[in-house]
Order: sequence, then structure tokens, then C-alpha cells
Amino acid sequence: MLGLIILGTFIAMILIAFKTIIEPKLAHSVVLSMGIGLSSVMLFVTFQSPDVALTQAVIGVGISSLIFLMGLKHLRGGYES
Amino acid sequence: MSLKRTIPMTTVSGFAVSAFFVVTILNILIKNMPSNIYRAGDELLKLNSSEGVANAVTTVVVYFRGFDTLGEIAVLFIASLGIGLVLKSTTKEKIESEESNFMLKTGAKLLSPIILIFGLYIMIYGHLSVGGGFQGGVIIASGVLLLLTSSNHFHISHRVVERLETFAGVSYVMIGLIGLIVMDSFLGNFLPHNISQMGLLLSGGIIPIIYIIVGIKVGSEMSVIVDNMLKRDIDD
Repeated sequence: MLGLIILGTFIAMILIAFKTIIEPKLAHSVVLSMGIGLSSVMLFVTFQSPDVALTQAVIGVGISSLIFLMGLKHLRGGYES
Repeated sequence: MSLKRTIPMTTVSGFAVSAFFVVTILNILIKNMPSNIYRAGDELLKLNSSEGVANAVTTVVVYFRGFDTLGEIAVLFIASLGIGLVLKSTTKEKIESEESNFMLKTGAKLLSPIILIFGLYIMIYGHLSVGGGFQGGVIIASGVLLLLTSSNHFHISHRVVERLETFAGVSYVMIGLIGLIVMDSFLGNFLPHNISQMGLLLSGGIIPIIYIIVGIKVGSEMSVIVDNMLKRDIDD
């Protein structure tokens, strides 16, 4: 059962990563990359490393995506680019 | 536009050469592999009980690899300095000058105290449970970001943040130097750390103090980064 969850999370990560690359809008791909980070948080929890999972959830998913979104506002096109 | 493309010869030869190198290096590594592999983590986990800290990861990050943590904080400080330099301007205002959304304002009123207290909890209980100063500082910075986006009247006092950051950095190095004088090693644990007190809030000697200092420094640096990113020149 645990193996199925891990395999499903891996496949979901790969699919979200492809979707992140082919997404035309930058803001959408930032939000999709948060999805990759969340699935890796699930993987870290299943591999029994809660410290790494918390770090990934806070830094990898939270603040870095927010900084990317704030940086997009500084671009000329804004969120539409 | 046709999807057919001719693959250039240089790409093919490059792939072949790199595959050859990878196979050669793997071959050397596998042939020279020792029969009994020791992992560094096992040795460190055996030493963990000597410091009286319940969370072994905290012992590794703050005590066994304390100098690396000092370097990480320096890197974060340089990143914050660089963002401040790139986005530097004398006349600044927030990007959204109009009033924020009603939902955002109500949600920020409800959530920001909880987020800030959760960040403090993660920071102070870093030696007992999951997390620590780095994560707690970033959680506090995200709470500050929520306050900054929701209200136009909320400002970060740069003087206070500067004082906090200076205090945290200086006291980290000072604790390390006191350890060097007392225990003959940089960041030596000179406060009492008995294994009988493992699990209490006041345990582990200098380790929780250093993690709280790291949390103050990371929180102030990330708050300054967020504050700089939210602003923009008026004449843009």
C-alpha cells in the first residue's frame, strides 16, 4: 500500500513537472511548481524525515514561490507574461 | 512546421563521449567500493545523546555542523543585501496603492497572529520537535508578508530589523568565541547539558539558544527581502 502511494506520488510529480514546463503563463507555472514541492513533501513524510519535509514545505513551497510571484509583478508584462 | 529534425553529428558524438566517461567513472567507483560501508549519520546519531537534545537533526545542524549554519546565514544575508541593492530606490511605494480586498483583510486579521505564534513555537521548540530556527524564521517572514499585503498602513521599521539582525549575528559569533575560550573548540557547548534533562525546554546547553538566534536573524532577513520585493519605484 505504501509502495503504491510512493509510486503514485512519483508519477504525479513527473506529470506536474511536464505541465509546469509547457504552461504558457509564468504565474501558472509557479503555482504548478508549488504542486511539485507539495508532492515531494509527501514523499519526505513517507520516508520518515519530518525535518526535511517541514523545510521543503516552508521554504520550497511557501516563501520561494511567493518571492517568484512578487518578482513577476516587477516584470514588464506583470502576471500575463 | 515539420516536427522532423536532423540531429547534428556533434550532439551524437557529445552524448557518446559523456556516456563513455560516465561508464568509466562508475566502473572505477564500483571496483574500489569498500565491502563494509559506514554512514556518517550512524556515527553522529551515536554521539547525539552526549548533548542531551531530543531532536538528533538539530544536534547535527547546530552543534556538529554549527560552522556550516553560520555560513548559511552569511549567504542569506548576502542574498538579502543583493536584493536590497538591485531594487534600491529613494522614492518607493507599494505596488497596490488602492485598498486591499475585503477577504484578504479579514483573513489576515484572523490568520496572521496564528502564523506568527506558530513560527515562534517552531523556533523555540526546535531542539525538542520537528523544525528549528531556519523554518520558524521563514514562517514569521510569511506572516509579515501577509500583514504587508493586507494593509497599507503596516510598515516594517528598518531600524528595528537592522538592530535585531546585528544583535543576532554578533551574539552567534560571540557564543562561538566563548566556546572557543572555555571548551577549546569553536561553538563548544559550555552550558550544562545533562542527558537526564533530555526532553525539557531548558536542555541541551547552548543549542536552543543558538537556534533562537538563527531564527531571529533569518526572520529579519526574509522580512527585509519580502518588504523590498513588494515595493516599486513611483515613476515606473
